[in-house]
Formats: sequence, C-alpha cells, structure tokens
Amino acid sequence: MAGRSDRELLEDLLALESRLVSAYEAALRRDAVDRSLGEALLAQEREHVAALEKTLGGGADRNPRATVPSPELTGSLRSRAAFASFAERLEASAVTAYAEAASIIRDARLRQPLGSIMACEAAHRVALRDARGERSLVV
Amino acid sequence: MAPQVTRREALGGAAAALLLASCAGGDAPPGGGPRPGSGAALFGSLLALQRAAVAAYAACEEVLRGDELAVARAIREQEDAIAGRLAVVLTGLGVDPPPGRSREEYARTFPRLRSAADALHFADDLEQRQLRAYLEALTELPAPGSRATAADIGATQAAHLAAVRLLEGLPAAQGPFVTGAL
Repeated sequence: MAGRSDRELLEDLLALESRLVSAYEAALRRDAVDRSLGEALLAQEREHVAALEKTLGGGADRNPRATVPSPELTGSLRSRAAFASFAERLEASAVTAYAEAASIIRDARLRQPLGSIMACEAAHRVALRDARGERSLVV
Repeated sequence: MAPQVTRREALGGAAAALLLASCAGGDAPPGGGPRPGSGAALFGSLLALQRAAVAAYAACEEVLRGDELAVARAIREQEDAIAGRLAVVLTGLGVDPPPGRSREEYARTFPRLRSAADALHFADDLEQRQLRAYLEALTELPAPGSRATAADIGATQAAHLAAVRLLEGLPAAQGPFVTGAL
C-alpha cells in the first residue's frame, strides 16, 4: 500500500468491504451462517461501504463490486464451519489492510475513523471464531 | 430528580479514574532523553496504561472461574507482552522505560469486584479505554512506523474487547465504528 494516494488506499478498502458484503450476502442466501450473526455482520459491512463511498465523494474510479463469487467463497458455502473459516480469513485481511491504511494515509483526519473500522473487523474475527466454538483469542 | 448512577457506571467511572491516574503523572515519567516529536511521551503514557491493565486483569481473575478465567488470563498475558513491546519501542526512541507501580499500588485504585459480572464490566470499560487510546494515538504519533505499532496493538485490544463482550453475553462488535465514523 505504501506510495499510494489516499484515494487509492480508500478504493482498495472499498473493494475489500465489497467482498465482505458479497460473502455475507451469499452465506445468508445459502444458510451458511447463523442468520442473526450474518445479518449483524452484513449490516456493519454495509455501513463501512457507505462511509467509504461518502468519503470518496461518490464515483470511485474503479468498480470494486465483484459480480462473480470467487471459487474460494463458493467452496466455503458448503457448511457453516467452512464459511466461518473463510470469512475469518477475509476479516483478517481487512484488519491488516485498515491497520496499514490508518498508519500511512496522509489525511490525518481519516486515521482514527479507519482505525475504528479496523477495530470492528477485529471484533468480527472474534465473533466468527466464537461461531466455530473457538474461544481462543485472535491476535 | 437526583441523578442515578448504575453499578456499571460506577465501575466504569472507577476504571476511568484508574486509567487517567495511570496516564497523568501517577507513574514516573520516561527516563533518558527523548527526541522532540518522537512520540516517546505518548508511548510512555500507553505503557502506563498497559501496566495498569495487566494489574486490572490480575484483580479480575480473583473473581472469575472457568472459561471466563481462561480468557482473562490469556488477555492478561497478551497485555503484558504488549507492555514489553512498548518498553522496547521506548528504548528504541532513546528513552528508558519508566519502572511502573507495584501490583498493590494499582490494586488500591480499582473498584471492588464482588462478582464475575463486576469483573467483566470492569474489563469491558478498560478495553474500551485502551482501544480509544491507541486509535487516538494514530492521529498524534508523528511517524508511520509508530502509527503502525499503535494500529497493530489497537487491533489486539479490539479483539480483547470483543472477547470480553461475548463473555458478557453481548455481540462481539458493538457497532460499525468503535470510536468514530468516517
């Protein structure tokens, strides 16, 4: 991410959020996630998307919304445990991406809000591990 | 009508007092000579907060059992490791890490924890304040490398907060934006 413009950083995060939205939407359609948990996580990811789009001022330069599910997502929909593992990896990627963006973005006013979304994604990881019956801490 | 203070609010207020005391001069200042604008003073405050958190979890462990105790122990070990990491950061910035207080000194500033629920409320408040401190540091630390350290530790604190919230029977994530929206 280093050397990228603030706009490019935000667009990358938007692409990641769109993947998360697509994943939870698919999981809910296929009953691959507990409905209450899936709806809660999906609602929060949609809030992140809306916030990023608003910050970008509409009209992101690239269309980040994936229209075809990735093979990995499709494979994960066979069971709730498989989807939880897949989603946890995706959330982990988001935590890493937000942590890096919050560190290097030039507009200092965006650092704390990006950190607050990072914190939310970290909590999602814990929720997904808990859904798999794992109580070990995510670090 | 006279204001009502719930037990949770009272516990949270006590935690706030603890943390403010830890960061506002209760501990010895960092020794040595920090480079101006290095962020050493802020890292020193975060280290004081970490040490208070380690002592706070030790107090929580006295009233927790089973899964709750196991999670609290795991968090305390990670908080202790983070304190060690911050001490290394301070040393790298040319500052001797402050010595911190004894466990007994910290314990005197804690609320009385009578039950597991008290301990979990205390831990919840503690984690929220720690997380907020690290996210605020993102706007204050001057170097990208220092901010990366704060962000990484902030993510760990967010995971701790989520784990505590699950033990309280709450959703892991309290909302889409933990300490402020875009």
